[in-house]
Amino acid sequence: MKEITAIIRRDKLPETKKALEDLGYPSLTIQSVEGRGKQKGAMCAEMDSELPESFCTAVRLTPTPSSYALEHTLPKIALFVPKRLLTIVVPDDVVTKIVKSVVRVNQTGRAGDGKIFVSPIDGALRVRTGETDGEAIS
Amino acid sequence: MKMIRAFIRPEKEQEVVLALEGAGFPSLTKIPVFGRGKQKGLTVGPVHYDELPKTMIMTVVSNEDTDRVINIIQDKARTGFIGDGKIFISPVESAYTVRTGEASL
Repeated sequence: MKEITAIIRRDKLPETKKALEDLGYPSLTIQSVEGRGKQKGAMCAEMDSELPESFCTAVRLTPTPSSYALEHTLPKIALFVPKRLLTIVVPDDVVTKIVKSVVRVNQTGRAGDGKIFVSPIDGALRVRTGETDGEAIS
Repeated sequence: MKMIRAFIRPEKEQEVVLALEGAGFPSLTKIPVFGRGKQKGLTVGPVHYDELPKTMIMTVVSNEDTDRVINIIQDKARTGFIGDGKIFISPVESAYTVRTGEASL
């Protein structure tokens, strides 16, 4: 079993859910998170893929050098971009298929598309029936 | 690669984030969470707080950077009092960048 953690744009969630459904793995957990990547969240206009250009200039923030901010105790600035975090637990053999599908749906080619992490899961248990491991996620 | 999940005091969040950024780890995800630890919450006079607000900082780093990142978080999030939080490390097999579809951090 593998856990796929995908951090994606907020407005791509319905499409991603649809794509997972089509593959036959509709179960997932969704969390609203905030985060940033290599660009340090400075491109906050990139939080959705369909924001107008004017919005972009209105809210653009410049990243603050961290040492400077610490020394001068600057007020907190919104450096984080709202995202959706999906957690999916699937059998080993379909991981590549699901990752490919999530990438295909979420790819816009611009910074802020998100990340996908794949990590091992040692066990699973369905609370209702007490089924374990493979049966629990089928 | 390792996934680091750090549960820290919400008021220390900015300090930790800026310190990580200064050390070259700008990427992270934060989630506000509620929880309790060994002390089963906090009692102030007659009032018992069972679940206390914390911030979970989630970041994925390469194996060799793990210790450095943990040290930075520990250093900045520490006050020496109960409720400073916990750090959990778990393995990550692969990471993909959605923009390019590449298997890299």
